[in-house]
Amino acid sequence: MTDDDHVFKALADPTRRHLLDRLFERDGRTLTELESELEMTRFGVMKHLRVLEDAHLVVTRRSGREKLHFLNPVPIRLIHDRWIDKYTEHRVAALADLKTELEETA
Amino acid sequence: MTTMTAQATQVYQLFIRATPEAIWEAITTPEFTIRYYHGARIENTPERHLGLGPNGEVWGDSPTLEWDPPRRLVHGWQSLYNPEFADEPSSRVTWEIEPQEGGYCLLTVTHDQLESSPKTAESVSGTGWMMVLSGLKTLLETGDVLDPDRA
Repeated sequence: MTDDDHVFKALADPTRRHLLDRLFERDGRTLTELESELEMTRFGVMKHLRVLEDAHLVVTRRSGREKLHFLNPVPIRLIHDRWIDKYTEHRVAALADLKTELEETA
Repeated sequence: MTTMTAQATQVYQLFIRATPEAIWEAITTPEFTIRYYHGARIENTPERHLGLGPNGEVWGDSPTLEWDPPRRLVHGWQSLYNPEFADEPSSRVTWEIEPQEGGYCLLTVTHDQLESSPKTAESVSGTGWMMVLSGLKTLLETGDVLDPDRA
């Protein structure tokens, strides 16, 4: 699998997206903290975190005896640059032009 | 979208197809940083991290805390590029370069100790570090300066 495949696979699951949202709100959380917000066993959360780590969407750091989970936004940015920008650029530009035109004539 | 306070510890990680030496040179030499680092001329030495703007204005001037080429660089950070938060306390930036299989390196940038510097934290988060790092990746993987073999 390429890096992109890992990222798309990791994002194709609502629990994993939920975990990313939790880390986006507050980074550097332990497994116990993340687990307490999900209706899921510790083992289940660990499995999902492992998939996120394999895709490098989550990076772990040791702090004393704790393992902290951090959101790494770079892979999503690279996917955005590669897959989203390319297809939305023209449409967004057209809308921006329309907005400028309408506001100028208003 | 949820509003949020920028994190006091920020971790950015990416693969770059380049040698550790090439990455090290690109992050420590002003001739390279000017091409991807918001136009800043940044010079890292064993003693100091110095960043200059296009007109020679000082954007960053902090001590080097660890210097282990081509694997690990730790330096202080003060946001002198913006008078609004130039007086926030110093934070810390760690660059770690780990060689991988297939000619890749894993680069991890950790910006931490931002607890008392919320404006700086906000300023470097989001697209701040991301633009620097994706620019660095593009320069190293497609630029003909650092890798003459592929030019």
